[in-house]
Amino acid sequence: MSRTNEVSITVNGERYDETIPNRMLLVDFIREHIGLTGTHVGCTYEGACGACTVHLDGAAVKSCLMLAVQADGHDVTTVEGLANDDGLSPLQQAFNDQHGLQCGYCTAGILMNMTDFLREHPDPSEDEIRRALIGNLCRCTGYVHIVRAVKAAAAVGTK
Amino acid sequence: MASSEQVAEKPWLGARMARKEDLRLVTGKGQYIGDIVLPRMAHAVFVRSDYAHARIRSIDTAAALAVPGVIAVITGQDLVDDVRTMPQPVLLPNLPAKYPTFSALAIDKVKFHGTPVALVIARHKYIAEDASELVEVDYEELPVVTDPEAALEAGAPVINEDHDDNEIFAMTFTGGETEQEQIANAKAVDEVFANADVTIKKRFRVHRTGLTPMEPRGVLCDWSEADGLTAWITTQRPHIDRLALIDLLDIPADKVRVIAPRDQGGGFGVKAPFFRENVVIAHVARKLRRPVRWVESRHESLMNVGQERDQINDLEIAASNDGTLLAFRNHGVADNGTGETGVYWGFVMPFLGAVELPNTYTWQKADVHLRVAVTNKACITPSRAFGHFPTRFAIERAIDMVAHKLGMEPAEVRRKNLITELPYTSVTGEFYDSGDLIKLWDNLMAQVDLKEFRTEQAAAREEGRYIGIGYATGVELSGMASEVLVPMENQPGYGAATVRIDPRGAVLVFGGDAPQGQGHETSVSQVVANAFGTNPKDTVTVEGDTGTTPFGSGTIGARGASYFMSAVHNACVEIKQKICRILAHDFGVEGSYEDFEFANSEVVYLADPSLRKTFRQAVERIIMHPINMPVGEVGGLEATVYFEAPEQMVCFNADLCIVEVDINSGEFDILKWVSSEDVGNVINPLIVDGQMQGAIVQGLSNTIFEEFIYDEQGQQLTADFENYKIANAADTPNIDITYASTPCPHTPLGTRGIGEGRPASVPGALTNAICDALIPFGIEITELPLRPDTLWEKLQAARGDR
Repeated sequence: MSRTNEVSITVNGERYDETIPNRMLLVDFIREHIGLTGTHVGCTYEGACGACTVHLDGAAVKSCLMLAVQADGHDVTTVEGLANDDGLSPLQQAFNDQHGLQCGYCTAGILMNMTDFLREHPDPSEDEIRRALIGNLCRCTGYVHIVRAVKAAAAVGTK
Repeated sequence: MASSEQVAEKPWLGARMARKEDLRLVTGKGQYIGDIVLPRMAHAVFVRSDYAHARIRSIDTAAALAVPGVIAVITGQDLVDDVRTMPQPVLLPNLPAKYPTFSALAIDKVKFHGTPVALVIARHKYIAEDASELVEVDYEELPVVTDPEAALEAGAPVINEDHDDNEIFAMTFTGGETEQEQIANAKAVDEVFANADVTIKKRFRVHRTGLTPMEPRGVLCDWSEADGLTAWITTQRPHIDRLALIDLLDIPADKVRVIAPRDQGGGFGVKAPFFRENVVIAHVARKLRRPVRWVESRHESLMNVGQERDQINDLEIAASNDGTLLAFRNHGVADNGTGETGVYWGFVMPFLGAVELPNTYTWQKADVHLRVAVTNKACITPSRAFGHFPTRFAIERAIDMVAHKLGMEPAEVRRKNLITELPYTSVTGEFYDSGDLIKLWDNLMAQVDLKEFRTEQAAAREEGRYIGIGYATGVELSGMASEVLVPMENQPGYGAATVRIDPRGAVLVFGGDAPQGQGHETSVSQVVANAFGTNPKDTVTVEGDTGTTPFGSGTIGARGASYFMSAVHNACVEIKQKICRILAHDFGVEGSYEDFEFANSEVVYLADPSLRKTFRQAVERIIMHPINMPVGEVGGLEATVYFEAPEQMVCFNADLCIVEVDINSGEFDILKWVSSEDVGNVINPLIVDGQMQGAIVQGLSNTIFEEFIYDEQGQQLTADFENYKIANAADTPNIDITYASTPCPHTPLGTRGIGEGRPASVPGALTNAICDALIPFGIEITELPLRPDTLWEKLQAARGDR
């Protein structure tokens, strides 16, 4: 096995002090090393599908394009960290209300990307939403209900 | 009460209810194949051929085996004694074809770029991947055939060497069974053409494209001496996969259980076949006595599955001056790829595509020929619009060409030729049970003011802007009755459901199909709530596990709302009848099913509403306190029902789109897309809207962007999402779904299965709109994909001609 390194990565508020191979991708650290499987892989680790999108210090990143060691000392939020004791986030709720998902495989990445997007663009136009979604592929929905859900969440106001 | 809170009765059928599945999926708690981990689980990586056609001289696995952490490396030779070759009878359609015999791991030769030749099993997936690079295969290259017409020529290199040539399947039909009848039919068609006012003849080509679920395939197998094989497979048909594994591995039937994971990341037909990878993983789990998982990479997926369409159709149409369609003649050549895929073998798709040529229109006569060619490409896999994406493109495009030749509105030609009397048997023998195509069409045309559009179009042209309108209609099978599915796929068409009542009043439903995003849990809960007068949240649906569910042929071909939902409803009725018999006895009244009402989570005796019980009290009495029962009754509330429709069912759709083309760049914008759907009674319009929108965008993506490209050596050049471009949110329009439904008379709830064939009318509608916009240039599109650069070239040529 390749060389290892010690890292300290905080995921959804929980700190992981781990020794991991240098070559381990952040998405594999999240999914396989600590077992948070809500983050998905849909392409050949090429950053094309967006299903692995998480937040690194609050900003949306594709976790297949990073090594886990690069996240050393950083805060990661995954889809499992979006809902809190009060329930679903407005965006999660809007995806349910507007039928913004079918198989659900791309959904985690879209929720993470759009949560970040809505923070920066609280009142986006439809065109802005569609352009912001370019990095997330969805095969089921045809995007119509996804766009509607993002709009609905914007109307409610994001956290 | 079944639930803790009081719930007002709602008409659950037809409610736009938010989905039950979503809570786990939006919180990251779904369970897909890649999320299932077993103790001591090993990771498998396939070694796949770099060549499209080559003999395997030798395989050296020593270097791979020497990598620390590698558990085993197996090749085709290791399967010879333990795994039967394909095909096995359960995987064969009842259609005459030249089926290839093959080993799950290739032994003597490889037939396409990506053929699996070895499997590396290691304790960690990174190690398995490292070691897979070290497996050395010595190949002797063979001549490669990638063009289907070349493959059918005499002297072409034969790919499946257990046969004499590359024609895996051929048929000539619409003219009876005997050669004499077929000759007579062909002659009759010739006469129609000879006497027709107008004819058109064109070669229509549709490229190799299809569906690519966001979650690729995967298999996890576990073996124990006590229970045998448990296989988790990304699959649309777990019960068929189970039979195939029993036969291929020669394991007793009581020792094989197949589970389609509760969550699957899309299927669209791609997860419907039985794949060779399944049996290899099952074999190594048995051999190594430990769990082994293979999760397909996107690269592998794009090399191996999701490739479909890929047909040439030489289509001729004869029509009258008044726009009446008279007859068509079609010679189709389909590219099958290798044919090494269980259940479909590639050719079943173009077979159905040819059958569906007549679409929603009446024809006096037709003469249809199809030849399907084996090539050195991945075997085509079913993809939504199973086989008829190319043929529908051809027929819908050809109808506009007839209209253009006659100077008629394409909308008028379509309406004039729609089937008006149903039931109807098409000229190719497809049965259309019911529906109202005129209502469907008029609803579509009510979404646009055509006269105003033509005025606007003329004014726009004056300004140098080119807008156009296009249409296409569609018919799709709403599941397949056994009468159709047994001949086609050697499988039963019925739907099956077990409904079990819990003593606390919850309802458990078990189904043998395996959804991949269709929202079955939600639709089932609405059907159950409708039957029992309970709340949808009190229903739990379990599908996909052959250990707990009745036999089903799978979530395929829009079966859900035709077959599975009907079985669920009928099982609920059976249980209601029993509840009524026992309550009548308890109340000391004469009465049966019709005398009771199930509403607001109560069961009420209608003749005396003071005689009532909550649903929970009623079921708890029967399940937990089965004493003082009527003569002949025993306790418990559970029913398994198989539903077979008396008639093959279909549903209809029509699409309309408006585009604007930039004649200087060839770029085009879709300004409007609206559909009209005749889908029977709708259980949940929110779900049906989503199914239709998704299917239409899949059709657009196939038409405009996606294309699998092989070079002349059969090298697959598009096996990643950088090169296999799928439509994103900014590439696609908003879509309005409208309904003009007629209830289905053949199902208990008037429902029909929907959505499988829905992408098929998209390429016709889009290209017709573009050709309409470009009528001043006389451009008629006959080939896909349709991209701005090809349009620009056509515009340059046309403008040069003027």
